[in-house]
Amino acid sequence: MRAGKTILDIPAAAMLGWVFPGLGHLYLGHRVRGWIFLATITLTYWTGIAVGGVHGTIDPKEHPWWFVAQLCNGGHTSAAYLLRSTLEPAEFVTVTPAAHYGPQPVKPLVHYGHWLSIEIGTVYTAVAGLLNLLVILDAIVRADAALRAAPAGAHAGAPWSPG
Amino acid sequence: MMLAGLFSQAIPITGAGRILLLLPLCLSIAIVYKTIRCPQPRQIPTAVLPLWITIVVAMYVIGALLWAVFNLLS
Repeated sequence: MRAGKTILDIPAAAMLGWVFPGLGHLYLGHRVRGWIFLATITLTYWTGIAVGGVHGTIDPKEHPWWFVAQLCNGGHTSAAYLLRSTLEPAEFVTVTPAAHYGPQPVKPLVHYGHWLSIEIGTVYTAVAGLLNLLVILDAIVRADAALRAAPAGAHAGAPWSPG
Repeated sequence: MMLAGLFSQAIPITGAGRILLLLPLCLSIAIVYKTIRCPQPRQIPTAVLPLWITIVVAMYVIGALLWAVFNLLS
């Protein structure tokens, strides 16, 4: 448990929660909740990437609004975007329903993504992002409640310790 | 590099796979929601299970209704 409670705890918890899910709660001393958030949201996010493939799932040009939801998971989306840039394929082909049932020419150095897998992967990552938004708001509320419970002197920005 | 390979190619999802993939997604929603709401962390496991079942059943019912409407209209 952290000793100090200052007004800076609120933006710090929110920022840490955005960088990694549950990190804001860990910073505030809510260890069990923090680890649960970290494990659950991380697993959901990377399951989505594994199902849809990083090229189809993280695509700000193809589906920008889903990408906004994914961005609520700052650290994970940055890592996934970096991975996407690192593994930039020569060509990326989305297998559409019509193309899926017809003959599909297979070329080397092409990343194929089935439309249904991409949709499921995108929903997984976006839901993980929106869940992290809830977690960030919860961290802000908890930091604010801890600050209100602290003596008046702590509100000025000076670290407060229960002694 | 092996880890990068896991995330670079999409996994083909067919048949029951797309229906079963709803289960872990609903579970994570239930876990996060109940972790926020429960006053004591030890209450989380018992609170998650009913919520998970409720979400899954509700989603399958909505899905079945939409599927029936789609088949009626097509």
